[in-house]
Amino acid sequence: MVERLLKQSFPALLSNRVYFLIVLLIIVLIILSLISPYFLNTRTILDILRMGTVLLLLSIGQTLVILAGGAGIDLSVGAMLSLSGVFLGVLSRSGVDIWIAALLTILFGGLLGSINGFTVAIWGLPPLIGTLGSMWAFGALALVITNGIPISNFPREFAFIGDGRILGIPTQILLVALPVFAIIYFFLNWTYFGRWVYLIGVNETAAKFSGIPVTRVRFSLYTLNGILAGIGAVVMASWLMAARPDVGSGMELQSITVTVLGGTNIFGGSGSLVGPLLAVLIVTLVASGLQLAGINAIWQLAVLGFILLGAVSINQLIFSVKAKQSGLSP
Amino acid sequence: MKTFIPGLSRRDLFTIGLVLLEVVIFSIISENFLNSSNLRSILRNATELSLVSIGMTIVILMGGIDISVGSALGVVAIIVGWLIQAEIHPLVIGLVAILVGTTIGFINGSLITFGRIPDIIATLGMSNILRAAVFGMLGGRWITGLPPVFSPLVQGQYFGIPASIIVIFIFYLVFWILLTFLPIGRHIYATGNNLEAAKLSGIDVRKTRIIGYMLLGSLVGFSSLLYVGRLGSVEITVGIDLPISAIAAVVIGGASVFGGRGSIIGTLAGVFFMAFMKNGLLLLGIPSLWERAVIGFLIIFSVGVDLLINKQQTISKYLRFKIRQPSIGEA
Repeated sequence: MVERLLKQSFPALLSNRVYFLIVLLIIVLIILSLISPYFLNTRTILDILRMGTVLLLLSIGQTLVILAGGAGIDLSVGAMLSLSGVFLGVLSRSGVDIWIAALLTILFGGLLGSINGFTVAIWGLPPLIGTLGSMWAFGALALVITNGIPISNFPREFAFIGDGRILGIPTQILLVALPVFAIIYFFLNWTYFGRWVYLIGVNETAAKFSGIPVTRVRFSLYTLNGILAGIGAVVMASWLMAARPDVGSGMELQSITVTVLGGTNIFGGSGSLVGPLLAVLIVTLVASGLQLAGINAIWQLAVLGFILLGAVSINQLIFSVKAKQSGLSP
Repeated sequence: MKTFIPGLSRRDLFTIGLVLLEVVIFSIISENFLNSSNLRSILRNATELSLVSIGMTIVILMGGIDISVGSALGVVAIIVGWLIQAEIHPLVIGLVAILVGTTIGFINGSLITFGRIPDIIATLGMSNILRAAVFGMLGGRWITGLPPVFSPLVQGQYFGIPASIIVIFIFYLVFWILLTFLPIGRHIYATGNNLEAAKLSGIDVRKTRIIGYMLLGSLVGFSSLLYVGRLGSVEITVGIDLPISAIAAVVIGGASVFGGRGSIIGTLAGVFFMAFMKNGLLLLGIPSLWERAVIGFLIIFSVGVDLLINKQQTISKYLRFKIRQPSIGEA
């Protein structure tokens, strides 16, 4: 009986990414609480989750770009985060009111994203080349503008976004992460636009013939990615109370890892936003767990690399099995 | 039967013209550009880039990409450093370096073909694992003061010709022959040009792809010897600019990022373009931080222009590539 249940539920567990991630999350939590007895209390966990806000924003954007297919990927998210943060720092240093500056930063992020949208969606560069180029260009510009020195002259009240609390819940989770997630979740699942994103990812040619503006959808997704990076930059700057030019380095790896761990097909067309949400929790908890265990931060890179490779291989396996079952084998 | 031997294509001539134009501009702007010691140092610094770019050309010809070459070079360079400190015979060290590099290439190739992971994702993951390995192996300290065991490969001079020119010439000659006359070279072009047609003509596409990545790996392994020979030390940021510079050199040299089109002569011209540009920026007193921004723009620009020229051709191929992917409904 038990054996049969296991046999039946195991493939289901693997193929339903949300269940799989919840189980994984529980396992991670158990391991972490074994490492440190102080770990399992709400305050600690909320504090740790604060670190996940920016990653969540970037991963939502990354998921949408990958969902829309056409070998879509955005390697420049980290660089856009850095450059937008530097932009905010420069504005604030030159005396612009911090809240107006924050708004402008989000727009600036959108501008950076639309550059990617232009090169990739309109001009037609392969996404990995277009965003690899802009990743280097943006990242280097952030360093050039600041000479590599962080800008830190934000007014005290700006810390509210990154460090404040409302009813004990960190502001950046309550006022940034949750609303953004809810809005984009709504758009992806209950509007034409969201359906288009999936359709384009499943079959671009069919989408074109059904009159879906493929180019415009992809362009707006890359732009949205920039806007999310801009929001992330505001949160990050408010949290650190400084604009560090290298703050986004490595974020592209993290966001891509979260996206594929969340069950998004790397070739587009299949995936959801709940998966990346859970994946962000897992990645953030694992990162802080490694810190708790006294493991050098450098090894997080390697761990992330392994998670990325493992997650994609599992995805590919599942998708090919599913394709065989549905008679659509490649 | 007449054998097809590609000479210089129009695209190659265009890149060569671009390099000449660059040389003229820089020598007008700075009088220090065209003197023999400066040119020599440019060549010396570009030796690793030129070898790695050969491998990158092969991988890009097959429609792939490898962004782990920098970290891979770091790992091999550290192993080479350790072996030099242990006073092992240089020949053995050289063999070990090439072997380790080839193994890394094999892992990349296997992940891509058997794991069916897209090239960019597989090499991104590997790049971070290897970068962490570089940090771990160095343990926060640089390897410095290595005896100049491999310096003759880059620093020396034979028959009045700098060693770096000889190394570059030999490698480009060997790989030009390999890509032009040997079956594996034809297979590489065929795989990138039209995967289905290549499969149907009996080419083992998987084997070809893995061999391509192994060739790149072996070149990276050999380049690490040059790196150690040139600097006598291994720093923590070893090879960090290498992947992007190599990709830039290859696409400036006219290789199509969709695969199937490109030449090793164009790549060599692309390498010189990159090397002169780095040096020119330095001579003009532009902060080295700008270099990366310029490389980023150059990549977008050269691929973009290429795309405009070959739009029709490329897009039809891209669509074919898309249809090949397994596409199913939502999970």
